[in-house]
Amino acid sequence: MESKVFTAKTVEDAVTDALKEFRVLRDEVEIEILAEPKSGLFGLLGTKDAAIRVTKIDKPSKNVTAIEFLENVCEAMGIEVSIQVEDKGDYTYLSIQGNALGVLIGRRGETLDALQYLLNLAVNRQTGEKPHIILDVEGYRDKRRETLERLAGNLAKKAKRTQRSIVLEPMNPQERRIIHTTLQNHPYVSTASEGEEPYRKVVIKLK
Amino acid sequence: MEKLVEIIAKSLVEHPEEVRVTTSKHEDGMVIELRVANEDMGKIIGKQGRIAKAIRSVVKAAAINNNLKVSVEIVED
Repeated sequence: MESKVFTAKTVEDAVTDALKEFRVLRDEVEIEILAEPKSGLFGLLGTKDAAIRVTKIDKPSKNVTAIEFLENVCEAMGIEVSIQVEDKGDYTYLSIQGNALGVLIGRRGETLDALQYLLNLAVNRQTGEKPHIILDVEGYRDKRRETLERLAGNLAKKAKRTQRSIVLEPMNPQERRIIHTTLQNHPYVSTASEGEEPYRKVVIKLK
Repeated sequence: MEKLVEIIAKSLVEHPEEVRVTTSKHEDGMVIELRVANEDMGKIIGKQGRIAKAIRSVVKAAAINNNLKVSVEIVED
């Protein structure tokens, strides 16, 4: 652990210096006061600076916490898995491989979404960071995206042919966004979301 | 199944040492009762029960995988 002694006129000044040097926030360090400052006689004789020891707290890394959580959960579910992590910049992509993983996906990805939600909460709780982890099982997310893109295209055609709006089944925000994005430049239809979560659904309307 | 509920609950709360999980058997399956510290109730239930729903959904999947019928109840003492 990184640790260093800082001195300044006041304890507060020393803390400020330390946080600046370590480039961290107040709750990411441990501070031990070694000496209180003394102002001395007439502020001249016998003045003493404050001295503090500042130690950086090692927080568990996001990725390690995420993998541990998943391994423990899957083991308790009785599923053998291996997990891969990829850092994608603004999000982390965690992919699970193994046998008979349909159970982890569930109907329309319901279990996978639940697990992804709990995973993000658990990592946030344990590291204090706001993680953005996308959880995937054997390429399910990509396959689902393709399915939704195809569905969007087909339903847009149907809307045009029948001259009627089409209401899709309820979907989560990520899935609705795929439909919106797929049809955003469509010449004949526009899309909107209606209803309240978790029953919010996309409506395909004629322009 | 009890272990699964315990792992999930302990990783979500501020006071993991106060997580208690017990199971009772009923005619139509197992009921897993989950107890956490009072101030952790929100961390286990979530806005509009979203966290509780996610926990139930993962436990249900595990139960199906093991040919069991399980429900999770969050108990307030």
